[in-house]
Amino acid sequence: MFRMGGVDEADRLDSAEKKQVLRRTAAMAVPFRRTLIGAVSFTALSTLGLVIGPLLVRYGIDHGIDAGDSSVLRNAVIAYLVVVAAAYLASRQQYVLINRAGEGFLRSLRVRVFDHIQRQSLAFFDRNKSGVLISRMTADVESMGELVQFGLLQLISAAMLIVFSLVLLFVLSWQLAIVGLLVVPVIIVASRKFQRDSNEAYLDVRENVGQNLSTLQEGIAGVRVIQAYAREPEQTRRFVQSNRRLFDSHVRSVRVSTWYFGLVEACGIFATALVIGIGGWLVNRGDISIGTVIAAVLLLAQLFEPVQQLSQLYNTLQSSTAALNKLFGILDTEPDVIGGSATLPSSGAVTVDSIGFTYPGTETPVLSGVSLTVGDGERLALVGPTGAGKSTLAKLMARLYDPSVGTIRFGHVDLRDADFTELRERIVVVPQEGFLFAGTIADNVRIARAGASDADVRNALAAIGALDRFDEFEQGIHTEVRERGSRLSAGERQLVSLARAALVDPAVLVLDEATSNLDPGTEVIVERALERLMTGRTTIVVAHRLSTVRRADRIAVVDHGELVELGTHDELVAIGGRYAALASAWQRSQPSV
Amino acid sequence: MTATTATRTEPAPPPTRSKWGLLASTLRAQRKNLIIGTMVGLVWMVGKISVPVLVRFGIDRGIEEGDKLWLWASLVAVAGVLAGTFTALRRFYAFREARWTETRLRERLFSHIMSLHIGYHDRSQTGQLMSRSSSDLTQIQAFVVMIPITLSNLAMIAAVAVILFATDPWLALVALAPLPLVNIAGRKFSEAIHPAVLAVQAEQAELATVVEESVGGVRVIKGFGAESVQGAKLRKEADDIQRESVKAARIRAKYLPAIDLLPQLGLIAVLGFGGMQVINGDLTLGQLVQFNFYVALLVAPLRMLGMTIAWGQRAAVALQRVNEVLEISPEVVDPTNPVDLPHGPAVGAVRFDRVEFGYDPELAVLSGFDLSLAAGESVAIVGATGSGKSTVARLLVRFYDVDGGSVSIDGVDVRDLTVHDVRRAVGIVFEDTLLFHDSVAANIAFAEPEATEDQIERAARLAGAHDFIMGLPDAYDSVLGERGFSLSGGQRQRIAIARAILADPRILVLDDATSAVDPSKEHEIRAAMTTVMKGRTTIVIAHRPGTIALADTVVLLDEGRVVASGTHERLLIDEPRYRDVLAAMEHDAEPDLDVETVQTAPALAPSPASAGDA
Repeated sequence: MFRMGGVDEADRLDSAEKKQVLRRTAAMAVPFRRTLIGAVSFTALSTLGLVIGPLLVRYGIDHGIDAGDSSVLRNAVIAYLVVVAAAYLASRQQYVLINRAGEGFLRSLRVRVFDHIQRQSLAFFDRNKSGVLISRMTADVESMGELVQFGLLQLISAAMLIVFSLVLLFVLSWQLAIVGLLVVPVIIVASRKFQRDSNEAYLDVRENVGQNLSTLQEGIAGVRVIQAYAREPEQTRRFVQSNRRLFDSHVRSVRVSTWYFGLVEACGIFATALVIGIGGWLVNRGDISIGTVIAAVLLLAQLFEPVQQLSQLYNTLQSSTAALNKLFGILDTEPDVIGGSATLPSSGAVTVDSIGFTYPGTETPVLSGVSLTVGDGERLALVGPTGAGKSTLAKLMARLYDPSVGTIRFGHVDLRDADFTELRERIVVVPQEGFLFAGTIADNVRIARAGASDADVRNALAAIGALDRFDEFEQGIHTEVRERGSRLSAGERQLVSLARAALVDPAVLVLDEATSNLDPGTEVIVERALERLMTGRTTIVVAHRLSTVRRADRIAVVDHGELVELGTHDELVAIGGRYAALASAWQRSQPSV
Repeated sequence: MTATTATRTEPAPPPTRSKWGLLASTLRAQRKNLIIGTMVGLVWMVGKISVPVLVRFGIDRGIEEGDKLWLWASLVAVAGVLAGTFTALRRFYAFREARWTETRLRERLFSHIMSLHIGYHDRSQTGQLMSRSSSDLTQIQAFVVMIPITLSNLAMIAAVAVILFATDPWLALVALAPLPLVNIAGRKFSEAIHPAVLAVQAEQAELATVVEESVGGVRVIKGFGAESVQGAKLRKEADDIQRESVKAARIRAKYLPAIDLLPQLGLIAVLGFGGMQVINGDLTLGQLVQFNFYVALLVAPLRMLGMTIAWGQRAAVALQRVNEVLEISPEVVDPTNPVDLPHGPAVGAVRFDRVEFGYDPELAVLSGFDLSLAAGESVAIVGATGSGKSTVARLLVRFYDVDGGSVSIDGVDVRDLTVHDVRRAVGIVFEDTLLFHDSVAANIAFAEPEATEDQIERAARLAGAHDFIMGLPDAYDSVLGERGFSLSGGQRQRIAIARAILADPRILVLDDATSAVDPSKEHEIRAAMTTVMKGRTTIVIAHRPGTIALADTVVLLDEGRVVASGTHERLLIDEPRYRDVLAAMEHDAEPDLDVETVQTAPALAPSPASAGDA
């Protein structure tokens, strides 16, 4: 069946890039070289088997049938049987070996790219859209799967078949070989056109499939609005339009492959006609035997199918090269936040020393000239409008990024010099949303410390007063959370998130307070858990609510990337500056009952 | 049934009882082209079959006897042109018709989905319906392709068998003996490889989950230094994929070379037995070569036959699933003799009379619910979560029908009106604002695509949306939605309000149109709504204290009925339950200190890979 592949104009590589991709691919395939050599050898064997068949037929005809010698004929038959059996065994091996090598290659590609992505700092994830990163690791790698399963094999065997058949054809009779190849220029021109057109058709179909799917999805997801406004006919009309565009593009793509296949087939038979005509003439002249003509006819029948296969493979190869190029692009990105070797004290103040920060690739600094010290055991609230830089400041204090200028220290150690594992044990960030991974509740808590036992997990949950809540579940902490935690409420997800921090038992806690509301029941439990977690630890909290701010020892107001106010609630209200304004705005917007 | 039948692009086929009935009725409409496709296939067959005969004559007469060599060679060439042309046409017809079947089934499915009652949609998942309309139809399409191709293949198999048996029955028997094995191997292969491929896909999906959560949860991973945990998970999934892929490869390794090589056994048999006959003078050399050719010719059709059977099995499952959706009949339909809504200066009276309703027959959501609004009156419905507030709106627009009692608009039971009339009489601003991937103007003019620019702008101004729309890159022509410009929650809601204004309904329902809005913007929305509500019957489903003030009166809903009504101030004093509900709302509604919370929709790229192109 006709398979499609193709690349956008933007993804098309020039020949230097192609060479580069091939070189790196070859380097990555080195561990699989034995398997690959085996695969190629077996492919050569099985292809040879296909080509030898016609030769044996010729031998049988010329020396057995024509000569009337039945023992020669019998030998030819036996030899043919042996060849077929050998070809079967070789084919089996070639499939297994090429897949073993290919899948091994894909596995190492997956692992390497994933590990490399994981080594990147948050800045990398800010720069790259998550959808793109995910599709690199999934769709792009999977698109090469087809190449591994069929493509490589077809490529090798088609190329070998063509070469062997040609060589044999020339060995049989150079005159017939030339005659048979008279149609080749037509096929070359047609193949070129086919490659170009099918690439275009493929992109067109892909575009229209995407369009149609989103119209479809919009209709189904929006059915309430559509029915509420009685717009079903209009919406259906729109869908039909996009559906018909998809149909048209399918038809165009069928047309592209259709004429090409027809042409190649016609060329093949046409070449046969030439071989018979001219070959017959040569036989009559006594230049060649009739068995040679028959063998040439049989060989030609095998020659044109691989040409079709190669043409189809061309586009698949191109899209795989483009995918590999993108993956190598990721592997080329050096991680910019790397751990040092200095050991960290078990506790200490967090000192921010005249730092500035600019996101890579941007001009405007997010933070500039910020200095402050959070004492051991102190609780600091960061407030300010969205985009002021308070979240960035919090992330810098946990070394999710490095400051562009200035230093941040824990105790007296610059965070950049600190051992990474130790750093993550001292300073822990609890993100805004309680993000859950697939697995059980216990697995999710254990994300924070891979080796933790069930007892450790239970202790961590107990430490924040959340153990009872999860023990109520039928399977307790071993309850599967399902995709993105759809079985847990928002509050329960946050409890899991806090338990992770409790499991690490860090000296410093960096919290980004959730902006979304919880159901009133769990809100109280979450607040209590948070309070227990913060007790006895240095805490930096990005605050969105006045209630949180009021419980902090000191408040830092960040605006336009600068630290504008720092002090206790009472001090700042007394100054009558921005904090005072924010606080009173909050009071005003509190609805009166 | 104007609302449903009118949406069909073609007259609805008679109701189908079985999955094959569905396919048969669809194909019947395409019978002309399918017959042409099959005829084309027959000509293709003649072309293909004539080649070996002509080659034989070329060898026997042309070369061996030296008689009219060039005539035979030219005839082979002509047959080649014929075979090539008709190979192309056969393919083209088969694929085009299959795509057409898929296209029409998808349209039928879509318009059916559009006509299904909301009760059905509330129970079903978008993803499920999506896969019915995409991957299931692709499976059906892959089978329909095979129909005309298989018909001409069968004709060819029959014709070749006849020729071979006519030439030499014993040799024919020997030559054809291995071929049924090709068919069997083909079928066995398809049966074995299908679950293996599904297993690989399942493992790929699991790896995708790990990747997605690692990218989505990168802050957690970085925060706890959990890279190695995720790395271990990924390695496990990558190993699983590798293992399952190699398993699938073993299945391919077993069958595919066998399918390729089995026909060679026929060729060997022809060489051996046929050769002996030539030596004995019972057969010509040309006939031998012809036998060889024919045996080779049958390989592809027989292999395809095996695949067709396997595809047919998969298509049956897909047809079953598609048919399940098509067999559900819409529950909310037009009455046989619809009544017209009365016209007049003061319209828009609403009455719920002893309404009984439950989504689940066992669990009543509303019981003995009474509510009456005079034309132009506005009421806020207040109640705890799950008290049935939003249900009131759904019954009014007939998303659901009441189990008992009645809902009427201007004195007419909504069930006596056409669905279209009810829905044009009521405009709802939903809690979650859905915008379509289209221009701002088109989104506002959703109810009235014919609306003029002035009307659209007027509606936008009334909804307080004009100013920010003018600030968008292309103003009213800016494209919104998943792949377009993303707006903040408040902006989306103002567009939804403008949409309702433009529809100019008798009755307006605001299902908490301010929940996703930033507090600082809330007053703007309130102002917009006050303008809109002037002189129009309005039901406000209030989830926040702020919205209550919009309405003239308040009703308190508890356990499915109205337990108190009056003005906000009155209820505050008299009703402890009202105060409790309000206090719960306050808690949820504690505003952020942030100035503006912008909701950005992630740019979701369509994934054509999953769209399933053959």
